[in-house]
Amino acid sequence: MPEVRIIAKNFMDMVASMPAIKLDKLYQNGFICEAILRSLPPLAKKYVLQLLHIDGPVPAKLLAEWVLPDGLSKHKVAIDRLVQLRVFVEAFDNRKNEKTYQVNSTYQKSLQNLLVHGGTLPRESMPSNITVRLPTLEDLETYALEQWECFLLQLISPSHVDKTLNISSSLMKVFQRRLLSQRDREAPKLTESGFQFLLWYIIREYITNSEERGVDAGDLISFMLELSFHVIGEAYNINTLTEFQRNIIKDLADLGLVKLQQGRKESWFIPTKLATNLSVSMTESSSRKEGFVVVETNFRVYAYSTSKLHCEILRLFSRVEYQLPNLIVGAITKESLYNAFDNGITADQIVSFLRQNAHPRVAQRVPAVPENVTDQIRLWESDLNRVEMTEAYYYDEFPSRDVFEGACDCAREWSGLLWEDSKKMHLVVKSEVHTYVRDFLRRQK
Amino acid sequence: MTTSAPSKNYADDVSLLVVTLDTNPFFWSSFPFHFSEFLSQVLAFLNSILLLGQLNQVVVIATGCNSCSYVYDSASDKNHASTNGTMPAIYSNLLHNLDEFVAKDQQLTTPHHKPGTIPSSLLSGALSMALCYIQRAFRSGPMHPQPRILCLQGSTDGPEQYVAIMNAIFSAQRSVVPVDSCFIGSNNSAFLQQASYITGGIYYRPPQMEGLFQYLSTVFATDLHSREFLRLPKSLGVDFRASCFCHKQTIDMGYVCSVCLSIFCEHHDKCSTCR
Repeated sequence: MPEVRIIAKNFMDMVASMPAIKLDKLYQNGFICEAILRSLPPLAKKYVLQLLHIDGPVPAKLLAEWVLPDGLSKHKVAIDRLVQLRVFVEAFDNRKNEKTYQVNSTYQKSLQNLLVHGGTLPRESMPSNITVRLPTLEDLETYALEQWECFLLQLISPSHVDKTLNISSSLMKVFQRRLLSQRDREAPKLTESGFQFLLWYIIREYITNSEERGVDAGDLISFMLELSFHVIGEAYNINTLTEFQRNIIKDLADLGLVKLQQGRKESWFIPTKLATNLSVSMTESSSRKEGFVVVETNFRVYAYSTSKLHCEILRLFSRVEYQLPNLIVGAITKESLYNAFDNGITADQIVSFLRQNAHPRVAQRVPAVPENVTDQIRLWESDLNRVEMTEAYYYDEFPSRDVFEGACDCAREWSGLLWEDSKKMHLVVKSEVHTYVRDFLRRQK
Repeated sequence: MTTSAPSKNYADDVSLLVVTLDTNPFFWSSFPFHFSEFLSQVLAFLNSILLLGQLNQVVVIATGCNSCSYVYDSASDKNHASTNGTMPAIYSNLLHNLDEFVAKDQQLTTPHHKPGTIPSSLLSGALSMALCYIQRAFRSGPMHPQPRILCLQGSTDGPEQYVAIMNAIFSAQRSVVPVDSCFIGSNNSAFLQQASYITGGIYYRPPQMEGLFQYLSTVFATDLHSREFLRLPKSLGVDFRASCFCHKQTIDMGYVCSVCLSIFCEHHDKCSTCR
């Protein structure tokens, strides 16, 4: 069994966790094969390409020979990932007594096809004489961001929202529940600009929730991946979608992934950048957006932004003092940080958010955020961790020194000894170890 | 106090591959393997590079006898419109531009061409154009793909291009751009061997042309990051012979200017390069 742990942090992990039959069906779609290929680690990509046109199984030893000794760990990770995604099929050759690998035949055929013939979308973009008033790429991007922020605002603080969305309230509740519980356990990162990491959480919830609504997760994933290969800004006719796909498109429009428009006779949808980023791993997504936060050494924060969402985020850990038409001014204080820590946000998250969203003017400076600010944030966090509590048992009134020493040794063996005072013969042990020490003392009697 | 590592905003293996494609008609007319078959394998290879990553870029420069020209740029906007369903955009665009280029190249007169020898292709021009494109990519911002050059060459070296090629090689070395060479001609190319050796690229002569795609995808598709971990072909010996600066002929022994190190085959009182 491969040893790589799967934490569904992106689309590909989710695909990897699907059962084998569903995966084979997914691999009939060339675009999904391409998306999977792109998500692999670099060595794995190379192996797929090399074995793409080889029909029979290849001994594992041969594959290992291609790598230098330094690269063996990477080689292992690559192979494990390939087997996990069922791109490589592992087999055991009993005659030669060795392990072999072979590319999954469905995957192989689809990818070969893609290489030679190129991928064709199931729909073509509509001619421009019908699609009037097509938004420009910048308009589309602002639209997508607006929709997404509106959706997020509704999640975080429903009272602040101007317009309501079409997503059913039950679905919103599901999102809210999961999001809030996430903050306690995994504590989402405030790092990626524009909260695009949340996009993945939301999409994941949407997919896992789909089964309950009677929608097949496999079909949903393949439609979304297909959508990610459409061209941004091009209009596609709605009547090329199936009934099932039409329902999904409406939900996606609320999230800002597509823009719906109505012509005189027909209606169409236009994919935005958020849609095309679906298949791309988080590291490659366009996190090249401009930063907007300036942090000064006197702990003041100036954010050149008009977005309500940015204001809310800053409110999470700093005291927002006033808001100008293009500027939000605040200060990082002990109280505001204590507030944030109580909500489960860690100092590292705050610091990385500030670093990643640093205004271009300060971004070139090393470090982008002044050290005294980052150090102080961390110090304040450790303030809350000064006292550590462990459940323990306290022993007193030992009959003799030997018994006391014996009890100490017993506790030490189980690594449960927390504190001892040999002069007064007092002992404190962890509660897990208490039973062992008690049994030891009983035996002494 | 633990400091968080900066998160990687860019995957390790994003590549910009600039390919110089030898279109010398004199070479191809006498070569047993047909140009169209060669091209179809190369196109499949280029397509596979684009397949591997959304941000990978491919640029193709055609190397003719008299001129060189850019025939394909995957980052250009003109590509999207021309998918006609049966071929990917890369095929139709590239083929169209290549046709135009070959026709134009034929019409230009050959500057100097010794009778009886096959004229060489303008590798120096192609390398210079490739390096210019790469410099522009470097200046496009803090995040840029890792560039490398791949020379698909069959024609023999033209000694008259020695100085220009060496300048291009050193410039590539300075900008840390590896020059890979896939040489399909009969004898080894000294220029390309030197290029790959000096810049840290790979020089390889595929033994069988029918399997060209497999050789290309095994050896030349490797991105720069993964090359540190893989066993790749190493050249056994490099032909370091130079050409003299006055007659442009390959020489083994000659005279060297002590100031600028230019090479001459006969004794001169004054060095023509630095005086």
